[in-house]
Amino acid sequence: MTKYIGKSVKRVEDKRFITGQGKYTDDIKMPGMVYAYILRSPYAHATVNSINIDAAKSAEGVVAIYTGADIPEAIAGVPCGWQVNFKNGDIMKEPPHPLLVRKKVRHVGDGVAIIIADTRANAKDASELVDVDYDLHDAVTDPKAAAQPGAPLVHADAPNNIAFDWQLGNPKEEVAAALASAAHVTELDFVNQRMIPNAMEPRSAIGHYDTAYDKYTLYTSTQNPHLTRLLMCAFVLGLPEHKVRVVGPDVGGGFGSKIFHYIEEALVVWCSKQIELPIKWTCDRSEAFLTDAHGRDHVTNAKMGFDADGKIVALQANTFANMGAYLSTFAPAVPTYLHGTLLQGLYTTPKINVDVTATFTHTNAVDAYRGAGRPEATFLLERLIDLAALEMEMDPTELRFKNFIPAFDGVEQEGYVTQVALQYDSGNYAPVLTRALEMVGYEAFREEQKNQKGDKLLGIGFSTYVEACGIAPSAVVGALGARAGLFESAQVRVQPTGKVSVYTGSHSHGQGHETTFAQVVADRMGIPLEDVEIIHGDSDSVAFGMGTYGSRSLAVGGSAIVKSIDKVLEKGAKIAAHLLEASTDDLDYAEGKWTVKGTDKSVGFGDVSLTAYVPHNYPEGLEPGLDFSSFYDPANFTYPFGAHVAIVEIDKETGFTKLKRFIAVDDVGNVINPMIVDGQIHGGLAQGIGQAMLEGAIYDETGQLINGSYMDYCMPRADDFPSFEVDRTVTPCPHNPLGVKGAGEAGCIGSTPAVVNAVIDALWKGGHKVKDVKMPMTPERVWTAMQG
Amino acid sequence: MVVKGNHDFKVSREQLWIYLMDPIVLAKITPGVSRLEIIGEDKFKSVSEIKIGPVKASFTGKLKVVDKDQPASFVIKMEQLSRIGNAHVSVQMNIEEKEGGIAALAFDGKADLSGVIARTGQRVLSGVANVITREVFSALEKHIEENKQTVESEESIQSMKTIKPPELEDPIDPAINSIG
Repeated sequence: MTKYIGKSVKRVEDKRFITGQGKYTDDIKMPGMVYAYILRSPYAHATVNSINIDAAKSAEGVVAIYTGADIPEAIAGVPCGWQVNFKNGDIMKEPPHPLLVRKKVRHVGDGVAIIIADTRANAKDASELVDVDYDLHDAVTDPKAAAQPGAPLVHADAPNNIAFDWQLGNPKEEVAAALASAAHVTELDFVNQRMIPNAMEPRSAIGHYDTAYDKYTLYTSTQNPHLTRLLMCAFVLGLPEHKVRVVGPDVGGGFGSKIFHYIEEALVVWCSKQIELPIKWTCDRSEAFLTDAHGRDHVTNAKMGFDADGKIVALQANTFANMGAYLSTFAPAVPTYLHGTLLQGLYTTPKINVDVTATFTHTNAVDAYRGAGRPEATFLLERLIDLAALEMEMDPTELRFKNFIPAFDGVEQEGYVTQVALQYDSGNYAPVLTRALEMVGYEAFREEQKNQKGDKLLGIGFSTYVEACGIAPSAVVGALGARAGLFESAQVRVQPTGKVSVYTGSHSHGQGHETTFAQVVADRMGIPLEDVEIIHGDSDSVAFGMGTYGSRSLAVGGSAIVKSIDKVLEKGAKIAAHLLEASTDDLDYAEGKWTVKGTDKSVGFGDVSLTAYVPHNYPEGLEPGLDFSSFYDPANFTYPFGAHVAIVEIDKETGFTKLKRFIAVDDVGNVINPMIVDGQIHGGLAQGIGQAMLEGAIYDETGQLINGSYMDYCMPRADDFPSFEVDRTVTPCPHNPLGVKGAGEAGCIGSTPAVVNAVIDALWKGGHKVKDVKMPMTPERVWTAMQG
Repeated sequence: MVVKGNHDFKVSREQLWIYLMDPIVLAKITPGVSRLEIIGEDKFKSVSEIKIGPVKASFTGKLKVVDKDQPASFVIKMEQLSRIGNAHVSVQMNIEEKEGGIAALAFDGKADLSGVIARTGQRVLSGVANVITREVFSALEKHIEENKQTVESEESIQSMKTIKPPELEDPIDPAINSIG
C-alpha cells in the first residue's frame, strides 16, 4: 500500500522558490554586517613582489584589508579530502592551497587580498586601489603538456607537475598481449574538455563570530555543511567544532561545485574573528567562472580490442587528468576511483588496464562536476565501441548486445565482479537498449538514413552506461583513499501531536528532498504528507551529515531515514500494545494505526505519540519520548544504468548540427517520485548534451580563461534541445531498504557520447570517415571534418 | 591575441622612421591617448582612454622601443594596466622601401590580455585591435600629408629629431626594464 511512493507529488519547496521567497545565503542580513571583496590575480603564474594597500585602506567605507602575509603561518590552507598514492606507494603531491597567496599566484583568480568595507561596492572600489607588483612567468594549462620535461612548474615540489600517477586493473602486459592478438583494435585519442559548472546561485559565504557566546557561524552555499565544518575546524582554522555552526540554507544548484570547502568560507570566518563583525562575501558571475571548481579536462588515448566475432578482448586506457593549480577537496578521486573503476562498463571485457597521470597546471582547480569521472569513463567506452562498429562495419547495437554482461539481480545471482575493483549490485542491461530501440523506431530510421538525399546528413549515436552512485560504504571508500566516512545520518523526531520532523544529513540544492523524503516518511508511517517536515542543512539541528553528491541522497540518506522510522515504529508498537493491552506480536500497523489482529481494536499514531510524551499510562521500563537517530553505512555503491540515443542532422554547407531527437531509457532502481526523476534526467541531459555541442572552458597559452562570461561561454538554452523522450526500466538495488539507486547524474553520464557518436555516424554515412570531432562540436569543427 | 597587418606610407622609410619615433606625433595619432610622457631613452609612460563597445576604461602604461635597426625595424613593448584588465604587448615593426617613394610598414606581434578583457569578449578583441591599428596608421598618414602641405620641407622633420627627452622629475621606474 503506497499512497505517496511512486507518485508524482508536486514539490513542496517550489512554492517558495517560484514565488521568490527562497532564502539563500546572500538574502541573509545581520546588524552590523560588512562586505568582503576578494582581489584576485589577473595572471596565471607570477611572483608577488609587493602588495601596497595604503591607498585602499583609507578609501571610503573600508573596514579592514588582509593579505596573505596577515594570515598566521599555522593556517596553511584548505585541505584535500581524498588521498591517492603514486604507483610506487608514495603519497600524492599535496601542496598547500593557501587562503590568500603569500609569494606566488598559480592561476587566474588566485586570492591576493580580502577587502572588507561597509558596502560591497566600496569594497570593490577599494580593491582597485590595491597595488600589486607582479613578476610574470610562463604558464602551462594542458594536462599532458604539463607533464613534459621543461614545462613551467606549478609547484616546486611536484616534479614534472605530476600530482600522482595511478593504475588499476589487469597487468599492462596481459592487456597488451590481448590487444596484440585481437582481430581488430580501435584506437582513439580524445579530449574530454573542461567544463564550468554554472550553478544558478553564485557562491556566497557569511562569517559571523559572536563575541557574547564565543561562537562562530558560517552561512554558505554548500552541498555539504557538516563536512565543511569538519574540514574548516580541524584542518584549516583549528577551531573547536562544538563552537562552530555551519548552515547551508537554500542553495541554488551546485552540480558538484558546492561540495568542496573553499578558501572564501574559511576567510570570512577568520576575518570575522579579527574584526568582530559579520562579513558577507558573494561572488559575482565572473568570479564564479574563475573559481568554482571546474569539471572533466582529461586527455586520453584508449585502445579496445575485439575478436573476430566482435567480442571485446581487452581495453587499455591512458589518461592525463588536469587537477588545476591545487588539489580541491575530492579532486584526486575523480579520475581514479570514480573513473578507472567504471571502465568495465556493462561489457564482459576480460582484460582492462587504466593508467592515469594527474597533473598540476596554472588553471583553476578541477573537481567533481555532475557525474564526476563516470561521464569520462562512459565517454571513453562508448566512443570506442561505436567507432569500432563503424570500423568493423557492424551494427553498433548488435555489437553492444554481444558484449553485455548477462542479467543478475544481486539476490539469486551474485553481483558482477569487475576487472577494476568493483562488484555491481544488480543489472539487466539488454532491456534498456531494447526499449530505447523501440522508442527510436530503429529499423525505420536506418532506412530513412540510407535513402537520405539533399543538403543534410542524418546520424544516430548510442551510449549505454553503468555508473556508481550512493557513494559509500565508508570501509570501501576509506580503503580507496577517502579521508572521511561516507555514511549518512537521520533523526526522526515524532512530536507529541504526531507530527514528524525529520533531520537529514543530506542537503538539497535543487533535488526536491523536502518532497521525496517526505513521501518516504509519510508512506512508511502511514501519515499524511503534510504532517512531515524535512529539515536539513544546519549543523546545529542535524546531528551529522555527509552532504549531497554522487547521487547518494536517497540511496544513503533515505535509507538512514528508513532505519529511524523502523525504530520509531518498533517503540510505537510497544506503547500501542500497552494501550491496547495486547502483545506487540498481535499488532498490525497500517494507515497510521496499530490494530489488534482480527479485531477492530486499534490505537492511532497520534495517541501513541502523545502517550510517549505524556507517559502517565506507560509500559514499565520504557523511556518516554519518540525520537530516533540512525547512521546508515550501505554495503555497496549502487549501480544505475541506461541506454541513450541521439539523432542528429548536419547541414552539409555550414556544419551546423541539429539535435533532432534524444531518447533516454534509464534504470535507477525503484522510483519514489517519477516527476522528480524525470526532471533530474532532463537536467542531466541538458548538461551532457551541452558538453557535446556547446560548452567548454578555454584557457589561452598564458593561462587566461578567455570565455569567462555568458557572452563567451555557450550555455545550452531550451531551444537547443528537442523534447526529451525518456522511459525507465526498474531493477531494484538489492542492498538498501528502498531498492533505490540514484538518478541525479545519469542524464549527464550517458548523453555526451551518444551525441558525438551520432555526429560521427552521420559523417561516416556521408562519406567522411573521421574518428573524432572535438567537443564542443561547433559548426566550424563539424564543417572542417567534412572537408577532409 | 595576434596583432598583425601592414600599411603603406607615401614617404621614405627614413622619414617614416622619424615620425614613428616621435612621441608627440604618436600621442596625437593614437586614439584615446591623452598623454605620452618620456621617461627615458625610448621609454614612455602613457595614459589613454579606450572604449570598446559598452566598456570604457582608462589605461596607464609603459611603452618602450627596443631592438632598433634604423630605418628598417624595431620592436615595441607595451604594458597597459587598467581596472578591467591588463595588456602585455610585443610587436615587431618592419619598414621596407617600395617603389615610388613608399615606405611599407608591416607589424606582427602578440598581445597577452588578462583580467576582464581577457575573459569577456576576447574573441572580438582582435577585430577591435585591427580597427584601432588602422585608425593609428590612417591618422599618421594624415599627419604626414598635413605636414607636407604646411611645411613642405625637411626642416621640421629634422627639427623633430633634435627633440630631447625633458629632464625627469622622478628617477626612471626600474620596473620599466622588466617589460615583456
